Amino acid sequence: MTALGDAFKRFFGEERDALVLGVLRLAISALLFFNGLRLILELAQSGYFADFFHMPLIPEAWVPNSSTYRLLLGVQALAALLAFFGCWPREALLTASSLGLYFLLCDRLQYHNNRYALLLLGFLLAFTPCDRSLLLVRGRTHTLPLEQRVAPTFARRLFQLQVSLVYLGSAGGKLFDADWRGGQVLLLRFLRTPEVFARHGVSLPSWSIALLSSSWFASLAAKAAIGSELFIALGIWFPRVRRLALWLGVVFHISIELSAKVELFSWLMVASYLAFVVPEVRQRRFEYVGGNRFGEWLARFVALSDWCARFERKSLTPATPGPSFYVTDRNGRRASGARGLAQLAEAIPVLFPLWLPLWLCARLRTARPTPATSSA
Amino acid sequence: MPRSLLNLSPRLRPVFFCAYLATQLVLVLRAQKSPDLVFGFQMFNASSDLKITLFRKVRRRGRSKVVPIRDGTWEVKDHSGVQHSYRWQDRLPRNQLATLDRFMHASYGLDAQLFRLQAALADFMLHLPGDEETEAVIAEVDTLKNGREVGHVRVQADRP
Repeated sequence: MTALGDAFKRFFGEERDALVLGVLRLAISALLFFNGLRLILELAQSGYFADFFHMPLIPEAWVPNSSTYRLLLGVQALAALLAFFGCWPREALLTASSLGLYFLLCDRLQYHNNRYALLLLGFLLAFTPCDRSLLLVRGRTHTLPLEQRVAPTFARRLFQLQVSLVYLGSAGGKLFDADWRGGQVLLLRFLRTPEVFARHGVSLPSWSIALLSSSWFASLAAKAAIGSELFIALGIWFPRVRRLALWLGVVFHISIELSAKVELFSWLMVASYLAFVVPEVRQRRFEYVGGNRFGEWLARFVALSDWCARFERKSLTPATPGPSFYVTDRNGRRASGARGLAQLAEAIPVLFPLWLPLWLCARLRTARPTPATSSA
Repeated sequence: MPRSLLNLSPRLRPVFFCAYLATQLVLVLRAQKSPDLVFGFQMFNASSDLKITLFRKVRRRGRSKVVPIRDGTWEVKDHSGVQHSYRWQDRLPRNQLATLDRFMHASYGLDAQLFRLQAALADFMLHLPGDEETEAVIAEVDTLKNGREVGHVRVQADRP
């Protein structure tokens, strides 16, 4: 009972560095702004939604009139901007997401899973201490010192659960649908692919057309898609496979973004992965040789793109012989070359899609015997 | 340390946590019974298509008959001789149900689109001021569920 009580206290009393939650706030509030902007553009182009056929999930009397709706859209956009710039960011996030949820309830025709997921994640983020870093309105002092950044982060767990639930819902729907599971749904989409390419003046080679029209390939792709979603939903909870699950998720969403129109969904899910980043900062080290062009270029790149503050940067003396840079991971493994780049890619968001190929490449290089070894 | 009303007290945290999760679970389970799977997170659920052809049931000289609605439009004169014109697409801006007489993708599945079509027809019947002869609007729908099982559904909304 005591162990259970301790676990309960640990879960709800967990206090961690909130710096990364600030990065997540920037991403989610930007997406909320674009979601609100779409509603404003639709209003400008097609008029007030309730003047036409609509299907409210709440009583019709609770649907705002045209002028109130315009006002609320303005408030939503303003709240998303305030959240982005860090002016009462949590209250602003709550306002923007709650208004978005209210608009969905006013017309179920506007319901799309990606919009709903964005609004829920925005709502949950408002309950995290995402107001401790990247408060852009404060200028250079945009991030509070460490002792003020450490705060209760139980709502981050809820945010993570919500991300899992999105994947579980999506995978479950496909798994229990015989046509999806068997590949029929994907086969029909694949069959349209050559036509889509042809419209852009590209003719696919005959072997790829044959592949896209084969039912076994569609069946395999369907099982791979369902398996991927299940792996992402569950794998993100296990530290041993979390990185792989997140990498698979990034690749999965890049492929969806390239092949389907899903509004902000891919951006949202990839941004939500920031909630799974270890909250503590500067636990890795990046060392570069001063005066070495590549080392210095890489150092500048790390300084610009290390949004989650993973690395402590250090310049080595120019006379240091050997590689132009070293990367030391959280476990103290110091590496350079391909392995060093792989360790860099696992912690730099824009390089993350390259992590697995770089890691495999580094593994292959270390596994391959050197000429000296083989001759011996 | 920044203060915020959204900093929940240690007592409130478990309540909020459980209430949120319970709400989500209820919504996800409820979505399975909803034709358009609203709040169910079910993406890319089908590759089905449907084709809608619209008709009107009209009363002329004491007899009811069904007449096609070409391109979603028709015109009638009211009892005072004033001409009125009606257009299906005018009630459905940005809605895929506005497309008539050709197959189109049924996003969120056939059930979702048929559910919405039923509501759209009922809404349309409520917005025919001056049309005294239309008794009902009928949609004859050809369906293709995931590329096979060609089916036919008739959806009708009567004058309230």
